[in-house]
Amino acid sequence: MSTILASVAVQNGSPSRASLEVLSRARQIADGQGATCAAVVLSPDASAVADELARYGAQKVYTVSDPIFARHINTPVLTALEAVIAEAQPSIVVFPSSEGVKDVLGALAVRTGAAVLPDVASVEMKDGGVEALRPVMAAKFMARTRAEGDLVLVSVRAGSYEAVEAPTEAAVEEIVFSFDEATLRQTLREVVGSTAGTVDLSDAQVVVAAGRGVKDEAGKQLVEELADVLGAAIGSSRAVVESGMFPATAQIGQTGKVVSPDLYIGVGISGAIQHVAGMSNSRIIVAINTNPDAPIFDVATYGIVGDLYKVLPILIEEIKKVKAVAA
Amino acid sequence: MKFCVCIKQVPDVTAPIQIRAGELSMDAGRVVLNAYDASAVEEALVLTADNDGEVDVVLIGPERATETIRKALAMGADRGAHLVVPEDTELDSAAVSQLLAGHFKDYSYDVILTGKQAQDTDAGLAGGMLAERLGLPYATNAVGLAIEGDQLVVTRQGDTGQEIIVLPTPCLVTCSNDMNNPRIPSLKGVMGAKKKPVDSAPVAEIPEASVRVLGYEPLHTREPGRFIEGEPAEQVAELVNVLELS
Ligand SMILES: Cc1cc2nc3c(=O)[nH]c(=O)nc-3n(C[C@H](O)[C@H](O)[C@H](O)COP(=O)(O)OP(=O)(O)OC[C@H]3O[C@@H](n4cnc5c(N)ncnc54)[C@H](O)[C@@H]3O)c2cc1C
Repeated sequence: MSTILASVAVQNGSPSRASLEVLSRARQIADGQGATCAAVVLSPDASAVADELARYGAQKVYTVSDPIFARHINTPVLTALEAVIAEAQPSIVVFPSSEGVKDVLGALAVRTGAAVLPDVASVEMKDGGVEALRPVMAAKFMARTRAEGDLVLVSVRAGSYEAVEAPTEAAVEEIVFSFDEATLRQTLREVVGSTAGTVDLSDAQVVVAAGRGVKDEAGKQLVEELADVLGAAIGSSRAVVESGMFPATAQIGQTGKVVSPDLYIGVGISGAIQHVAGMSNSRIIVAINTNPDAPIFDVATYGIVGDLYKVLPILIEEIKKVKAVAA
Repeated sequence: MKFCVCIKQVPDVTAPIQIRAGELSMDAGRVVLNAYDASAVEEALVLTADNDGEVDVVLIGPERATETIRKALAMGADRGAHLVVPEDTELDSAAVSQLLAGHFKDYSYDVILTGKQAQDTDAGLAGGMLAERLGLPYATNAVGLAIEGDQLVVTRQGDTGQEIIVLPTPCLVTCSNDMNNPRIPSLKGVMGAKKKPVDSAPVAEIPEASVRVLGYEPLHTREPGRFIEGEPAEQVAELVNVLELS
């Protein structure tokens, strides 16, 4: 029986939301094919999340436990995934399209002789091949792409599918892995500006994103306060990452991250296509901008033409009030 | 250090583009040097200016893509190589990396740079594929590069922070446009570029693609939105109401 394998990333001890989304999709595809839905986890303590993965439909969980996976380094990830693919013999491997996955996908495809469909918005089996819709031209259009072969690797943009529970029993198979660090040709000296431990932007349900309209420390504070009262993750445009006001991990768009929250609030962002490429899949989009002709209003569900320095203080106070009443 | 930057000519994604019978239709003249590659060229130029060295560029594309090589030469690169393919040849990332791997068999570089992705397809695979084919250590999505002795220190934008990675040479790095702002070629650069060597040769055999584009579709359109009018206090009141934040 063939296997559809979902690659799962562990964040703060749990599978990331984007990982559960691809696992859910893997299960749907496996159901349609009469195939086994399996998951692979690389983590210092990979078996710890096996129960959670069974809850989302993994009938088989391949675990590779090693302290080296506490931080991302491409070589050991490649070695481990190659070993799991050799053991599981999947026909499709689906990954969440994170930076960690983007780092290894090409090399893994060459190593395993796989065809690869990167950063897709949807994926299905069709006439014996794998077909996917991929945003192209800065997400202005979708390209329908098709891959054929015994093994196809697919990475899926965050928010493309819903994570749906489908409880089952999972058989756990620990893949023996020993990585000789002496064979590592690159070294990871340090990780700076780490946001580990906070809500990941791609996983967030509410995102407040800041752009060049946020001109100073006072504006930044307003954005932080709004995010705080909403329990939101903070995103940004490239302009304010470039200026150093926000960290690069916050960047949303073609170069940055893809977000698909229930609610995205863009503050002082013009809505350049390269930014919209990363957020147009949000359920509700609110834009606050002084310029009524700003292109962000073309994708906004609710547009507020106004000065963020005037609108945000009132908005923060009003949200505090409703939350206080609700509590 | 000797650098080679792999560059691509891409359609200008900000130009008007339509779909006609499942195909993208746009002004064929609106083409640019892929922005991520431009950042890679810029970084190589900065690093070789400080530390000595050379910067070559290599491009796979039709005859007319030579202008993109000239652009990189005008920025300051020393030499160009053009692997010429017929107009409208479909190459997937695997095919591109295969052709580039063939090219690099005949050369020796300390550092190969590529853009982290192409602006038109956003696939982001060719760099990692090329590194694997050449057996090189690599890092992707670099936002900073520095030379330390005979090693390269890469600042990589990861999922949760910036990873500082030390690579031995030879190695391969894919570059983000968050790395720098590429220089605009000066008139002197443009004139000088005309005299720089470009080694151009047709590709003997086009590798077969394992991934094919069947056609293009419009994005599913969003429900039209609306403006919330009034004074800030009124706008906020209505917004809080429609968002049902309570
Ligand atoms: C290859 C490539 C990749 C890129 N990738 C990305 C990416 O991943 N993410 C990204 O964001 N960009 C990306 N960009 C850059 C993008 O093209 C834009 O330059 C950028 O998004 C602009 O950021 P911005 O909207 O904050 O700034 P601007 O375009 O300068 O817009 C600022 C907005 O703030 C409004 N404003 C000013 N003052 C106020 C106020 N007081 N109150 C309210 N509104 C106010 C203005 O009306 C304006 O609309 C990329 C570009 C390229 C070429």
